[in-house]
Amino acid sequence: MSLDLQPLADWLTKTSLSAFVNNHAWVWPACESLHFVGLALLVGNVGLLDLRLLGFEKRLPVMAVNRFVRWGVLGFAINLVTGIFFFAGNPAQYIHNIAFGWKVAFIALAGVNVLVFYATGMARVVKALGPGDDAPVLVKVIAATSLVLWIGVMYMGRMLPYIGNSF
Amino acid sequence: MKFLLWLSRSAPAVWGRESESIWAYPTILFLHTLGLGVLVGFTTAIDFRVLGFSSRLPLAPMGRFFRFVWIGFWINALSGTMLLIMTPAKLSNPTFIVKMACIGLGVLTMLWMHREVFRPRQTLGATVVTEASTLGRVLAASSLLWWAGAIVAGRLTAYLGNVR
Repeated sequence: MSLDLQPLADWLTKTSLSAFVNNHAWVWPACESLHFVGLALLVGNVGLLDLRLLGFEKRLPVMAVNRFVRWGVLGFAINLVTGIFFFAGNPAQYIHNIAFGWKVAFIALAGVNVLVFYATGMARVVKALGPGDDAPVLVKVIAATSLVLWIGVMYMGRMLPYIGNSF
Repeated sequence: MKFLLWLSRSAPAVWGRESESIWAYPTILFLHTLGLGVLVGFTTAIDFRVLGFSSRLPLAPMGRFFRFVWIGFWINALSGTMLLIMTPAKLSNPTFIVKMACIGLGVLTMLWMHREVFRPRQTLGATVVTEASTLGRVLAASSLLWWAGAIVAGRLTAYLGNVR
């Protein structure tokens, strides 16, 4: 990726958000704690739907399992906000970080995966699945993709200092 | 403690701590994060249901997701033990002790809640229990607090006390 993010980084470092993150020692650890809480909400509640669609515990009606996704969305929102705090606080350690590039790419792919879920009409098909119903193959592929991508996002996030050069 | 110190000087611990390999410390750290997501994530889903969220979801099959909670728990018990023998000084960090206490209480709460809410006593009569008791809900709410506490204390272990 030859996208030059340096101007963005330069601008971000001058924002009051960046100053806020850097001028208070508690902000970074607080955001990290929240980032892990958000991670758990996302993985567990989206994973619940993914596993049901893949055929685990088919006695559960999908419509009712689907409602848990909103907790996953809350987790994602928490992590997007805290992630922006990290990025604004120290953009230099992310813009040249290959692990960060992969992390963002996996998040984007997870977004595309959700779009495919809706665009193909599978989201509607799935909501009609009652207790005992098996999901179509395409839905299973989407569910498995979701699990793999979110695990990939976690892996790349954890590898920021190791594959990449952060911290 | 002596045993831990001995372990911390053992070959696997030294390798984990000092190897530059991506398969050493970073991979164990990732497994610990993955286990956290699975353990706490599925716990929150079960807790939300016990607290009354998405009440059309039958409780009994929901309880089967406890197996993922346990998978996450054991991933983290093992990876956590490995992280601990690499940096045993954590044991004298009060924040780490708080984390361990939260985990202990979280696990006890989980076991108690499982007994209280998910034991199949609905087969006793014709009526199917669809909602958890007040005690069950209190346990679910406290479970959320213990695990949030464990996460926060775990993260702060890197900032407070004596070690990273």
